[in-house]
Amino acid sequence: MTATTGTAVRQRPPRATGAVPLTQARLLRIELRRNAMPLILPLIAALFWFDSYRPSTATPPLYVVRTFWNMGQGHTIVDFGPFVAGVAAWMGSRDSRRGMGDLVTATARPRWAAQLATWAATAIWAVAAYLVFVGVMFAVYAHQSVQGQPPWWWVAVGATAVTAFSAAGFAVGACWPSRFAAPVAAFGGFLAMMLSSQTGFTSTSGWALILPTNSNGNFQPDSGMLYPWLPDLPIARIMLLGGLAVAALGLLGLLPGAGGPRLRQAAAVVTLAGVVAAGTAVAFARTARLGPHGIAIPALHDAANDRPISYTPVCGHAAGLPVCLNPAYRSYLPGVTAALAPVAGEVAGLPGAPVRAMQIGAVYDPGEGGAGQAMTMSGDPPVLRMPLGALGLAGAFGWTGGQVADQYRLLFVHAFTGAGNGPGTAAQRAVQAALLQDTGVPIATQPKVLSSVGLPSWARVTGGPQPGPEPATGPVYAAARRFAALPRATQHGWLTAHLGALRSGHISLGQLP
Amino acid sequence: MTAAGIHSTPRGTAPAEVAYPPAVAGLRLAWLHAVSRRVPAALGLLAALGVLLWVSLRYHWNVAGGPAAQMFIPLTIETGAAAVIAVAAYGPFGEPERATGRWLPYLRLAAAVALTAAAFGALAAGATGGNLPGGSVALLRNVAGITGLGLLGAVVLGGMLAWAGPMAYLLVTEVALQGNPTTPWVWPARPPHDLGAALCAAGVFAAGALLITLRGPRESERD
Repeated sequence: MTATTGTAVRQRPPRATGAVPLTQARLLRIELRRNAMPLILPLIAALFWFDSYRPSTATPPLYVVRTFWNMGQGHTIVDFGPFVAGVAAWMGSRDSRRGMGDLVTATARPRWAAQLATWAATAIWAVAAYLVFVGVMFAVYAHQSVQGQPPWWWVAVGATAVTAFSAAGFAVGACWPSRFAAPVAAFGGFLAMMLSSQTGFTSTSGWALILPTNSNGNFQPDSGMLYPWLPDLPIARIMLLGGLAVAALGLLGLLPGAGGPRLRQAAAVVTLAGVVAAGTAVAFARTARLGPHGIAIPALHDAANDRPISYTPVCGHAAGLPVCLNPAYRSYLPGVTAALAPVAGEVAGLPGAPVRAMQIGAVYDPGEGGAGQAMTMSGDPPVLRMPLGALGLAGAFGWTGGQVADQYRLLFVHAFTGAGNGPGTAAQRAVQAALLQDTGVPIATQPKVLSSVGLPSWARVTGGPQPGPEPATGPVYAAARRFAALPRATQHGWLTAHLGALRSGHISLGQLP
Repeated sequence: MTAAGIHSTPRGTAPAEVAYPPAVAGLRLAWLHAVSRRVPAALGLLAALGVLLWVSLRYHWNVAGGPAAQMFIPLTIETGAAAVIAVAAYGPFGEPERATGRWLPYLRLAAAVALTAAAFGALAAGATGGNLPGGSVALLRNVAGITGLGLLGAVVLGGMLAWAGPMAYLLVTEVALQGNPTTPWVWPARPPHDLGAALCAAGVFAAGALLITLRGPRESERD
C-alpha cells in the first residue's frame, strides 16, 4: 500500500482553545453520573448520624463541647474516610479490572487525565456529601441554640481529609486492580485512623499534633466564644492532607502508560510538591506551642487571632453581687448566680469582698489540661474572675447541679481567702472550710468535694490523694470547726481585722479564734 | 453450509475432553472455583493480617483508654479479615455458572467456611505476639460474627460493597465500646464466655453462610 502523491495532504484543523476543558468537563460529567460513591452515601449517612451526631447531643449546647467528639477527635473523618477510600479504590481499579486498560490507554486523552477525571468525580461526591452532612448537623445545632462559633477551620480539615482518603484509595485501586483493593483501602483507612488515635490521644506536643484525631490543645475551654478558634493547626493539617492527596495523584502520572514524557515530568513535579507540602506541615507541627488560646504555630500564626471576641455580657445577681457572663453561657447564668449567692451573702460587707463577678476566658494550660482552673480575685475594687470554660457545667459529662454549685462555692471561697493557685496555708484552708460550712457545704463532705473531678490540682492536695478523699480530720479541720462555731458577727469581726494578714499568709493556725 | 452429516470432530481440532477420576474431578472443580474467587490471594491477605496482628500485639499498639479501647486495633484487624472473605464470595461468571454448576452452592459454602477457618487460624497464630483481649474464644466469636455480616453484605450489596458491612459494624462497635453495652448484638464488647453474644455471632454467621450458599452474592452491572 502506498500513498498517492497527487493527493493533497489534509491539514489537521487547529484545535479550538476551549475544546480540552470542554472535553474534560464532559468526561467529568459522565464520571459523576457513573460513579459508585452515591451507592455508599446512605450507609455513611447512617453511620454519621450514629457516630458523629448522636453522641454529641448529650453534651452542653456549646460548639466547642458539642464538636469535641465529632470534629476534635476526628469522628466525622472516621465515618467518611475509610468508606471513601474503599469506593475510590474500586473506581481506581475499574478500567483494569474490566480488562479495558489497554483500550482506554489508546484513547486521545492521556491516561492520567482520564484517571484524574474519575478521581475528581469520586472526590466531588464524597466532599459534597461531607459538607452537606456537616452542614445539616450544624443546622440542627443552630436549631438547638448551640452557642459559640462553629469550628469552620476544622470542617475544612475534614473536607481535605476526605479528599486525601479518596486520592489514596484511588491510587491503591489504580496501582493494584484487584477486587481486594477496595477492602484493603478501607481497612488501611481504618487502621490509619486507629493508629492516629493511638498516638494522638496521648501526644500533646510535637509532630503528633498533625494527626487528624488529635484533639489536644485545640478543642478545649472557650474557643469560638471568648476568643477565636486558632487556625494555625488546621492550616498545617490541611497542608499535610492536601499534600498527601496531591502526591498520591501525582504518582498515578508516573505509572507506565500514564502519558507522554512531558506529562510524566509534570506528574513528577506534582508528586514532589505534594511531598514537600506534607513534609512542611509536619515540620510546622514540630514548632507548635500551646498558647493561652490553643496551639500556635509561629510560621502560620496571625496575631489578630489572639484578640478576644468582644461581646455584651448577660448579667444577674447573686445575693446582690452582680454576676456577668458571656452570652454563650446565658443558659448557665441562673445556676451560677444560685451557686455563688450563699458565698456572696457570707462575705458581703467584708473588706476585700468582690463587688462584681465576671467570666474570663479559660486558657489552654498544659499543666492543668483543659479543666481545673481556679477563680481569682483582683482589681480595686476587687472583682471575682471566673474561668467557667474550664470548670464543671451542670449537665455536662455527668455533673449534677449540686456538684457544680459546691465546686463554684469552693473556688469562690478559695479565692477570697487569698490562697491563689495553690492549696494555701493551714489557716487559709481552715477559714476556707469554715466559710464553706457556713454556705451549706458541711465540713464532713468537703474532702469529697475537694477530690471531685474538674478542680485544679491543689484541690486534690487538700482533699487527699487518690483513690478516695481523706476524712475531715486533723488540726486544719479542727480549727475550721472551731471557727465555724463562732457567731457570724464574731467571724466577720475577726475577718475584717485579719483578712489582709490571712491573705498574705501571715496568720498561723493557732492564731485563729 | 450446514453441519448436517458431521458426527465426529475433525482431525486436528480440539481434543475430546479428558475424563478425570471422580475424586480428581472434584478437587479440580474446587480448585477452579477457588481460583475464580481469588481464594489464593485472599489467603495471602489473611496471612498478612495475621502478621499485622502479631506486630500490633508484640509492639503494644493500643488506643489510649480502658480495656475496651485496647481491643480496638485487634478488632479492626479481625474486621479486615472478614471484609476480605466477604469480597472473595463474588464470582465473575454469573448466569452461565449458575446454569451449569449444580455443585455451586456447596462450593460457595465450602469456600466461605474454609476462608473463615483460615482467617481464624491466621489471626490465632498472630495472637501469639502478645495478649489478645478476650483470647481465642473471643477471636473465634468476633471473626465468625463479622464474617457473617460480610457474607450477608455480599448477598445484599454484591461484591463491590460487600466489605462495607463489616466496616460499618466496626464503627458501630467503636461507639458502643465507649459505654458499657449489654446487648449481645455488639458481641465484641461482651466478655468472651457471654452465651448471648456467642449465639448472636454464631447466628449471624449461620445466616450469612446459608444465604451465600443458596443465593450467592448479588450481581450488579457495576461489578
